[in-house]
Amino acid sequence: MADDEKREQMEVGSGDVDINDKKPDKMFGLKKWNLVAMWSWDVECDTCAICRVQVMDTCLRCQAENKQQECVVVWGECNHSFHNCCMSLWLKQNNRCPLCQQEWALQTTGK
Amino acid sequence: MATNHSRKRKGSGNNHRPSKKCAVEKEDIVDVMTDSERKPNFSSLSGPNGVNRNHASPLVANKPVSTRKLIIKNFKDKPKLPENYQQQTWDKLKEAVIAIHKSTSIKSSLEELYQAVENMCSHKMAPLLYEQLRVLCDEHVKSNVSQFLADSVNSPLYLKQMNTCWQAHCQQMIMIRSIFLFLDRTYVLQNSSMPSIWDMGLELFRVHIISNRSVQNRTVVGLLLLIESERNGEAVDRSLLKSLLRMLSDLQIYHEVFEVQFLEATNQLYRTEGQQLMQERDVPEYLMHVDKRLNEETERLLHYLDQSTKKALITCVEHQLLGDHLSSILQKGFDNLMEANRTSDLTLMYQLFSRVKNGLHELCAGFSSYVKKRGRAIVINPEKDKTMVQELLDFKEKLDTIVSDCFQNNEKFILALKDSFEYFINQRLNNSRALAKFVDSKLRAGNKEATEEELERLLDKIMVIFRFIHGKDVFEAFYKRILQRDFCRKSASVDAEKSMLSKLKQECGGGFTSKLEGMFKDMELSRDINIAFKQHLQNISSPDNIDLTVNILTMGYWPTYVPVEVHMPPEMVSYQEIFKKFYLAKHSGRKLQWQPTLGHCVLKASFSAGAKELQVSLFQTLTLLLFNGTEELALEDIAHQTGIEDTELRRTLQSLACGKARVIQKVPRGKDVEDGDKFVFNNEFKNKYFRIKINQIQMKETAEEQISTQERVFQDRQYQIDAAIVRIMKTRKTLSHTLLVSELYEQLKFPVKPGDLKKRIESLIDRDYMERDKDNSNMYKYVA
Repeated sequence: MADDEKREQMEVGSGDVDINDKKPDKMFGLKKWNLVAMWSWDVECDTCAICRVQVMDTCLRCQAENKQQECVVVWGECNHSFHNCCMSLWLKQNNRCPLCQQEWALQTTGK
Repeated sequence: MATNHSRKRKGSGNNHRPSKKCAVEKEDIVDVMTDSERKPNFSSLSGPNGVNRNHASPLVANKPVSTRKLIIKNFKDKPKLPENYQQQTWDKLKEAVIAIHKSTSIKSSLEELYQAVENMCSHKMAPLLYEQLRVLCDEHVKSNVSQFLADSVNSPLYLKQMNTCWQAHCQQMIMIRSIFLFLDRTYVLQNSSMPSIWDMGLELFRVHIISNRSVQNRTVVGLLLLIESERNGEAVDRSLLKSLLRMLSDLQIYHEVFEVQFLEATNQLYRTEGQQLMQERDVPEYLMHVDKRLNEETERLLHYLDQSTKKALITCVEHQLLGDHLSSILQKGFDNLMEANRTSDLTLMYQLFSRVKNGLHELCAGFSSYVKKRGRAIVINPEKDKTMVQELLDFKEKLDTIVSDCFQNNEKFILALKDSFEYFINQRLNNSRALAKFVDSKLRAGNKEATEEELERLLDKIMVIFRFIHGKDVFEAFYKRILQRDFCRKSASVDAEKSMLSKLKQECGGGFTSKLEGMFKDMELSRDINIAFKQHLQNISSPDNIDLTVNILTMGYWPTYVPVEVHMPPEMVSYQEIFKKFYLAKHSGRKLQWQPTLGHCVLKASFSAGAKELQVSLFQTLTLLLFNGTEELALEDIAHQTGIEDTELRRTLQSLACGKARVIQKVPRGKDVEDGDKFVFNNEFKNKYFRIKINQIQMKETAEEQISTQERVFQDRQYQIDAAIVRIMKTRKTLSHTLLVSELYEQLKFPVKPGDLKKRIESLIDRDYMERDKDNSNMYKYVA
């Protein structure tokens, strides 16, 4: 298994050769950096209070209809966040934030 | 009609006839009417016409050629037969029949004899004639029996004698019948109870000869002996057999006298043969033998046995040679044949087994148990993990050819193959992982190892195996993990991966692949972001010339890692911050979480032997960068300065100081990193390559990692169940519990316990996705 890993990695990145040795005083110098980050919605509570699915996941209705890509998040002025589709359904009945009962005012929509 | 005919001739005056014919027919009429004064030519006309000659002929005779008018008058006296006519005629016929019986020449002409019969019939002597003939034949046949009663002759000769006698009898009867044809056609036909002359002959033969117990017995035993010796491989006189068996069936005693005994003998022979050969021969030989036997018996049917025996005989052979030995044949030889891929033998086996009742069923069961056993052996051994998938593919291909070539693509077998595969593949959860790894290695090699078409074909085959896997989501999870690693190292062959993805999508539907698709999309987006970021850097005059690329992954699509915090040099941190600012400016409402475990770098390193480039992970980078300031560092110092978690750090150091490429040295030397160990820069480092990749020491794709993958799978399953329930309820509006559950089982691609489903349903009711019907608690209603 470990051997396997090594062989696989040996093939990696063998394409770009760059001989560049400007800083002989330093033993090691960073030349290339590949950084990995994960993005998620910047929310206080990571579960949508309406459908109780994590906001990073698609809400159940969208999962059922296979619309994963369209299911974004909205923030109200109160800084509470929900799935956009959950919230729009909610607002048809009640124009208040389900968490704090303040009148709902849209702050931002995720994109 | 007959009268008309003669009159016309008369009237027209053309009463001359070809003289040769007249001569013969004249003789005929003499027997009948000796007192007639007619001219020979008239008699020749009226003779054959028969029925009305008593009235017509004399009239015509009275008016010779001179008159034109034709007057018909009755006889003055009814013409009479001579007194002893009957006796005389019979004597003549009797003489002829006896001559036939003795095979000597007949004195009278056949024509004359025929005429005699006809005349006798016309004069109502038919019953008498028939009776006399019967008695005559009866005596003759009776006299024949004596030759068969003597003991002296041996069996083949006896049969020959019987055959000769029978043949003679037939010939005689045919001859006699020809002479007495008129009797047959009139008298016998009118009396339905009378057997025809031929049948009478058969009856006599049956009663007098064959029904004799000893004759019958000897004949049948002789026949059976003859057949048995043929079965033992000797050449026998088939025409004799055929003729005698025809005799039996003509006499209508074939069935009761011969067939029953014959089948009994066959049964016995093949029972012993079957039992004996099963012991002695191995399976292919035995099957060949059975095939040979069946062919022989079929030939026997063709050559001499009566067709009515066919079914019973073949069934008997099949039963004794195959039916009774099905399971032992399978036990003894099937696995070996499969193992050795003996297609011709397997084909034969299939053909033979398909002949007997339950044969294919047994064969199919044997087949499926072989597949299960063999497959399990491939799957269950963890040491074989590396080769497992390839072995499975080969195994599947081999079985497919066997099913199509040997088992005629029988649907039962195809199904059995499928079921067995499904059974053994799911014996171990780990198979999903192995398959995912295999797919990955093939895809990564991509076009290097195989052409695109070959790769496509391979993927198709893999999909076949994939279809059998129950926990498809487990596969997905492992596949994702592998993909992630590859993406972050840019080692994936995107085309090949996409082709795999489309296959998965076809197989499992969009829901299954949506996350994988999301991953691909992330990779594409990351590329765009990097390009944009490079432009951005040029605008803001960045401090360093580090080549920074960033992969931005959407949380949720990708496998998650526990976030770790590490200390990085300030230049790196500031760089990271520049990117973060840039990114968040473009995307509102998001936050970024760095994944140090996944990052990797290229380091320039200068050793006394020359400069090198090192490909290392981020953790390795952080560790190595510390050596820029000092010569020697203790484990604790490094831990403090980098903030890398302890076991992770030890592994990192191990890879740098104890691996193949030792860019730093551990003091004291040793394989494992212990507390208090010190590390120094290895200035003497040599390597023939300029670019060196220092591998991280992987914890054998750790139990921990596996567990976390499986946990994630479990989590995902909950959501999938929920989504499926909502999907179903949304279309159905109301549905009973049982129907909902059965639909769920259809939709879900992984095994679930009913109890778990119930829990999910309860939870959805709690969350107001649906509700119970007020009147019937077993009904659910969708809540919009």
